[in-house]
Amino acid sequence: MKSMTASEAVIKPTAAQNIGSSRTLHRVLHRYAPEVLALLGGAVVWECLGWWLGLQWLPPFSQVIRALVQFVGSGVILSNLQSSLMSLIVGFALSLVFGLVLGALMGRYRVIEKAFDVYVHALFVCPSILFAPIFFAMFGLSDASRVAIIFVYSTFVIVINTATAIRTVDPSLVEMAYSFGCRERQIFTRILLPASLPLVFAGIRLGMGRAVKGMINGEMLIAFVGLGALAQKYGAQFDAAKVFAIAMVVLIIGLVSNAFVQALESRLTRWAD
Amino acid sequence: MNKRILRDCLPRLAVFAAAVLLWECFLTRSQNFLLPTFSHVATGLFQLIFLEPRFWEALYISNQALVLGYAASVLVGIPLGLVAARLPWMDRLLNPYFAVLLVMPVAPLIPIVIIALGLGLAARVFIVVSFALVFITINTRAGVRSIEPTLVEMAKSFGATETQIWRRIIVPGALPAIFAGLRIGLGRAITGMVMVELILVASGLGRLLLEFSGRMQSDMVFATVLAVIIEALVLLSAMQFVERRIAPWVPDTSLT
Amino acid sequence: MIRVKNLTKEFGGTDNGGGVLALSDISFEVRDNEFVTVIGPSGCGKTTLLRIIAGLIPYQHGEVSIDAHPVVGPGPERAVVFQSFALLPWTDVLGNVTFGLDVRGATKSDSQAKARDLIRLVGLEGFERRLPKELSGGMQQRVGLARALAVNPRILLMDEPFGALDEQTRRLLQEQLLQLWERERKTVVFITHSMEEAVMLGDRVMLMTPRPGQVKEMIAVPLKRPRPPDIEKSPAFVEIKEYLWENLRAMQTEQP
Repeated sequence: MKSMTASEAVIKPTAAQNIGSSRTLHRVLHRYAPEVLALLGGAVVWECLGWWLGLQWLPPFSQVIRALVQFVGSGVILSNLQSSLMSLIVGFALSLVFGLVLGALMGRYRVIEKAFDVYVHALFVCPSILFAPIFFAMFGLSDASRVAIIFVYSTFVIVINTATAIRTVDPSLVEMAYSFGCRERQIFTRILLPASLPLVFAGIRLGMGRAVKGMINGEMLIAFVGLGALAQKYGAQFDAAKVFAIAMVVLIIGLVSNAFVQALESRLTRWAD
Repeated sequence: MNKRILRDCLPRLAVFAAAVLLWECFLTRSQNFLLPTFSHVATGLFQLIFLEPRFWEALYISNQALVLGYAASVLVGIPLGLVAARLPWMDRLLNPYFAVLLVMPVAPLIPIVIIALGLGLAARVFIVVSFALVFITINTRAGVRSIEPTLVEMAKSFGATETQIWRRIIVPGALPAIFAGLRIGLGRAITGMVMVELILVASGLGRLLLEFSGRMQSDMVFATVLAVIIEALVLLSAMQFVERRIAPWVPDTSLT
Repeated sequence: MIRVKNLTKEFGGTDNGGGVLALSDISFEVRDNEFVTVIGPSGCGKTTLLRIIAGLIPYQHGEVSIDAHPVVGPGPERAVVFQSFALLPWTDVLGNVTFGLDVRGATKSDSQAKARDLIRLVGLEGFERRLPKELSGGMQQRVGLARALAVNPRILLMDEPFGALDEQTRRLLQEQLLQLWERERKTVVFITHSMEEAVMLGDRVMLMTPRPGQVKEMIAVPLKRPRPPDIEKSPAFVEIKEYLWENLRAMQTEQP
């Protein structure tokens, strides 16, 4: 396989993941009115079909909402959410540290890039869920397995974006800094770091989304605590409304965390186009 | 030339060797005597591929869902993406659903699909489709929208019909993004295939994995996972190869 | 004084040879407080020469020295102005102008005071808090100039600094540069593609030939300082310009 070197790959977030960057709520609503209407329309259709068809697997939308509210109220969600979120935070933090460091090294030093790029690329494109049985064998039914799965899900997109970000910094800026007497460390802190921020953030946002997917996918497989276990439990009970509600909870986690990273990104990279 | 190949390979081999070393260290410290060493996995892989007929049977069963699901995703996804890009009203209508589906985790909904479609091939195909379809559609749509409007204007100024514009401008212009979508979609389809196998463990590779882990044959578990990883990489490389032949002008980048 | 003697620079060769000879046996001197412009067709190595004097790239043979000290890297007595401006997009004008001072560890108050003076000098008062993307090309280059002047260099090395600007802006900046230079006559080496610019600005014009880069001639420009308005219409000016053009055109037509 002709390996795409890390220096050429940039993975850009999709429009969906850019939603959080609008400035005022009013402007957001106004611009997205048709889309919001389309979604509301879908909800209405779902509601009608739910009542009309009476299928076990398609409860009316209102029942899903009711299950969701019930969850939040009864605290069931909270305890499971807590354990899920704990693994998410630990796993994502680990992948941030590892991903940013390896990505920066790969971006700056050609040797390191050559050493790792084949593996990073292969691990990035192959389905990360395949590592679940391996981690399960290694760590058993423990938090370590879940953290490891989340780590594998989110690290590599961060590595690739960070490496590209560092490598594609405008070389004339580096030369200019050198001409004013900057040493290697100063070049890194004064030029490479700030210049690479936009792309690095893109990677972090994608990594965040991947981490959430890793969290839920991992829990579906190694299901003994967390939201995944709940989904399995209610699935076994044929309670479709509750399962949909859980999916929505995960969806909300994903959107909120994405918006959070995006807000951070906007403040730190106001100078970029 | 030879010196350069060597210079490239050396660091890669070094990393590989370091990884194996790390693994062996982990083994000695973890006291989990079930975990296989690197050589165990290697022999297990050999055993699996050449000595275990059930592996190929399981592979066949699992890949049925993959092939059918992926084909369905491509046959529906690409036209859907093309249409969505050309019909603005439809685009605005479908867009929010694409956005939601992109972020929505499919995994927790698998039990629902089981309720609806049972445990057979239909459910597995449906899940593969649900993993792959959205990405193919979105990338196709993005590809069409990325075409410079001046190119279409230029074609019209020479009197091209709608069909000609499609054939000569839109399809070739959108091809890079479409291929990116196909590549990602393939990865996602494989994920779906594996997800449903491992959650349902009713047939194919999932069942095989369950048997191996039930019999504490962790080297075979590792070997099986490795085999699927290899399959995924082979398929993706093949796709990249096909892409290079069909559309050689496409730069080797862009992963949405 | 900048002294260059038998300078030879080769790119990309191995021990067996096969590189590109950018500069071959170049010798010249730039006196203190002299304004030398360098002109030549593409590929004559003028940018390479400047970067060697700036200490940004190494050289294989010959001597390059500043006041009898050999050049081994960048130094505080030299500052560069870049064609692409090379401003930090994430810092405002003030921060960009103080960059060179910050790097050398100056205190914030000192560097900012100095920067404000220079910002006023180049005519950008009131723009201290703006980001580069909010400025026109001409304004950005003035920031680059201010930044270079802020570190108080004895030697200014300017690599086609006005090349990326439109003609009107270029003219204004040339006038402004000359005004600044009259105040404090630094040693300047100025690379340009424009014959008119070369004669307008320089005390001497260094004419280079390409492949490999060599100095053909050092042409004196005995025009009045400060340059009076409409100097470019004077016969002396035109004569030197035509001389340059004859030589440059001959170099172009000689090329295969």
